[in-house]
Amino acid sequence: MPWINRATVERVKQEFKEDVSVTYGDNAVSLEVKTDRLKDLLKHLRDRERFLHFVDLTCMDFPEDPRRFQGVYILYNPDENERVIVKTWAKDGKLPTVTDLWPGAKWAEREAYDMFGVEFEGHENLRRMFMWEGYEHFPLRKDFPLEGIPEQELPSLTEVLHGRTDPPSHDYEVLHTKVPTLEDLERTEKARLKKKAQLILNWGPLHPGTHGTIWFLFDLEGEFVSQCDIILGQLHRGMEKLAENLYYFQFLPYTDRMDYISAICNELSYVTAVEKLLGVEVPEKAQYIRTMFAELQRINSHLLWLGTGALDLGALTVFLYAFREREKIMDIIEGNAGYRLTSAFLRIGGVHYDLAEGTLDVVKAFVKDFPNRLKEYHMLLTRNRIWLRRTKEVGVITREDVHAYGLSGPVARGSGVPYDIRKLEPYAAYDEVEFDVPVGEVGDVYDRYLVRMEEMWESTRIVDQCVKKIEKLPKDAPYINKDHPAVMPPKEDVFMSLEDMVQSFRIVVHGENAPPGEVYSSGENPRGELGFYIYSKGGSKPYRLRIRSGALYNLSIFPKLIEGRTIADAIALLGSLDPVVGETDR
Amino acid sequence: MWVDLLITLGKIVVLLGVALGVGAYLTWFERKLAGHIQARLGPTVVGPFGLLQPLADGIKLLTKESIIPRGADVPVYYLAVVLALAPAILLFAVIPFGPGFEVFGREIKPIIADVNIGLLLIFAMGSLLVYGTIFSGWASNSKYAFIGSLRKAAVIIAYEVVLGFTVLGVVLLAGTLSTVGIVQAQIERGVWFVFYQPVAFILYLFCMLAESGRVPFDIQEAEAELVTGYHVEYGGMRFGAFPLAEWYLNVMALSAIAVVIFFGGWSGPNILGPLSPYFWFLAKMFGLVFFVLWLHWTLPRFQAKDVTEIAWKIMLPLALANLVITAVVVYLVGGE
Repeated sequence: MPWINRATVERVKQEFKEDVSVTYGDNAVSLEVKTDRLKDLLKHLRDRERFLHFVDLTCMDFPEDPRRFQGVYILYNPDENERVIVKTWAKDGKLPTVTDLWPGAKWAEREAYDMFGVEFEGHENLRRMFMWEGYEHFPLRKDFPLEGIPEQELPSLTEVLHGRTDPPSHDYEVLHTKVPTLEDLERTEKARLKKKAQLILNWGPLHPGTHGTIWFLFDLEGEFVSQCDIILGQLHRGMEKLAENLYYFQFLPYTDRMDYISAICNELSYVTAVEKLLGVEVPEKAQYIRTMFAELQRINSHLLWLGTGALDLGALTVFLYAFREREKIMDIIEGNAGYRLTSAFLRIGGVHYDLAEGTLDVVKAFVKDFPNRLKEYHMLLTRNRIWLRRTKEVGVITREDVHAYGLSGPVARGSGVPYDIRKLEPYAAYDEVEFDVPVGEVGDVYDRYLVRMEEMWESTRIVDQCVKKIEKLPKDAPYINKDHPAVMPPKEDVFMSLEDMVQSFRIVVHGENAPPGEVYSSGENPRGELGFYIYSKGGSKPYRLRIRSGALYNLSIFPKLIEGRTIADAIALLGSLDPVVGETDR
Repeated sequence: MWVDLLITLGKIVVLLGVALGVGAYLTWFERKLAGHIQARLGPTVVGPFGLLQPLADGIKLLTKESIIPRGADVPVYYLAVVLALAPAILLFAVIPFGPGFEVFGREIKPIIADVNIGLLLIFAMGSLLVYGTIFSGWASNSKYAFIGSLRKAAVIIAYEVVLGFTVLGVVLLAGTLSTVGIVQAQIERGVWFVFYQPVAFILYLFCMLAESGRVPFDIQEAEAELVTGYHVEYGGMRFGAFPLAEWYLNVMALSAIAVVIFFGGWSGPNILGPLSPYFWFLAKMFGLVFFVLWLHWTLPRFQAKDVTEIAWKIMLPLALANLVITAVVVYLVGGE
């Protein structure tokens, strides 16, 4: 995706004079603006230059700078297909809120506050996003150690049962980082926007309808939801903090564990971003293998969505029909990567293994069979009266909301916004395969259902083309670009040749040694745009790695949509937004 | 006198054994059926074809720890189980499974209570079912259970009304409330009432699904929203009793009643000698049960507000119209 063009930058410069400075990078163009003019600039960009679509907001911590925190805003112009990064320094640890411009920034600002302690002035409800109320520290600050701050005693089970022993019965530290107590959770629950309902229904953290550990609070008037609050963070593992302390290649398996249903798509997004930063070329065969597996993974993920979504609405049988096909894809992935769920199949510069023998035959059989199975799902659901009644006119998202809330993926396309990164900023081999982007009209649950169903069909097409292309390539074509110094050579070469062993050894010990710079790159995941904003100061670890989660932004519109509807709609709506908690919490 | 009492007791024991046994085995049948509908096998491990599965389930449920939620109303909590099971079983009391026969010069009717208000009794028992639901929801001290029980109560109230009106058409035709009388009326005329009352039968089917909490009307379960609804706080066999009563006994009883009032009870060609009537009755009944299970594993579910809306706004007017038309026709043509 191209970045903001020079003409626009000139216009902005004329408007803002010396308050704005521009940095042209290889992979990003950023405008730095004085804090006082931030709102003016953003408003100007949104209203005059059509940077409507809110992509992401985050912060960076520079302890050596007296201003310390820098706010980073990423915007997108759907007309020109351009992105821009806006940066500004916080004043006394404070930034103005942009929730009045883009309501989607609500959660992003809360997250930045939670992780950095930057206060957003004017935010309607600035409280902890992932950590609990009453936690004193801000984990993503640079002075917060990776292992946490040990301040709480957590005795082992033997100690609890048999009394404290001296010397202690364990070989680990007694002091641990704090964990929330029941009182903390109660305080978190009470710190809500406002309460007014007759009955407050706790949905989760463990509830079959939420598909993960999300905590919903519904204020009910009878069966109708008058207000909904979502408390996240039960699965928060501090991925971004981990990334700052790992080499680039070491972080790859962690991306599997974000959206654990579409692991290969996550890897592809991450690897694409890192390759842009390191300037790694990827061989053709690897590109096609990546595309093929990402699309198989997309079908896999959509099948899970279909099964569980139908299960939520009481159609019990679709679930097992979907899992039957899903199992076949799982087998294909397992046969190549060695793992089913968190596959860690991709590598910076290529893929881990060459295609296993017979893979293409299995994939071909699957591609041939799958359209019939899709027809079966359509027969079970698409024109079922009850299904229509449950999904039509439920949770209608307007196009304006898509941009204002930064929605992406099938949720955006269901509302008729053709926002598909595969087309707008082709990565892997997506520019060489043919496929269409299905979009909805109304933007209700039913449209999102149809969009996902169509996407499965398009994915089958892509997989088919990839298979044909790979068959034409020579069998010994390289699947990883080991000539680049930052790429780990494949294992069989490491054992056979000295140079490769040295290179592998060097990367494992010293890392990739990336150039300084910044990059924002995203991939089209089954759950929306998964973006990686990497800020590198050189060296082998990113200074800041921000993960822009599609599922989180898609979920952020949920409280707005559910107001005034029943809890039965909530389940249909949540199914259609399809969040995965591993990704929303990270 | 004493002999009559003994005979009745014998009938009760037989019926209770059969009803509960078949109810338990219906779980096996449903799981097998669901398995094959869903392209899998269902239970296969315990016994041949998994036939001992209900037994294993029963032992598991019986030996489970009983957990009563904090703040529960304990007497009502237990009473709810009884109130859920008892009416479901009592429904079988007025169902005639076959024609009377003579043993040692004494006529025995395969019905426990041949009262002349059989249908009324059925509605009374059907309405009593709601107490089990309400009590369990109330006594569990849980919001999910409470919402589930309220939903179920709303459904039962709505569908009992419709059910009453659908059956009245048949009563007008037969001229009696006695279940045996209704069957005999159909045998005498040589026609099943389902041909006279097709609309009523379809409405009855809907009511049957709603009353027994089957898909697409299983809003009180709605496991995705309410976990499992009103019996979520029960454990062990107490938990098992609710689905047994609601999903199996109730479905069987309502199917049997449908057979009595719409499908001519035990009537059918004599193919098995003296056992033929029982065969026909059970065949018809399990045909209906099968239909209910089939729907359960195929369709999605309605929303709570839709379910009651359908009852009050569509089905009740239809049932009323059906009743009025039947009444006029019966008056003009003559009931007999």
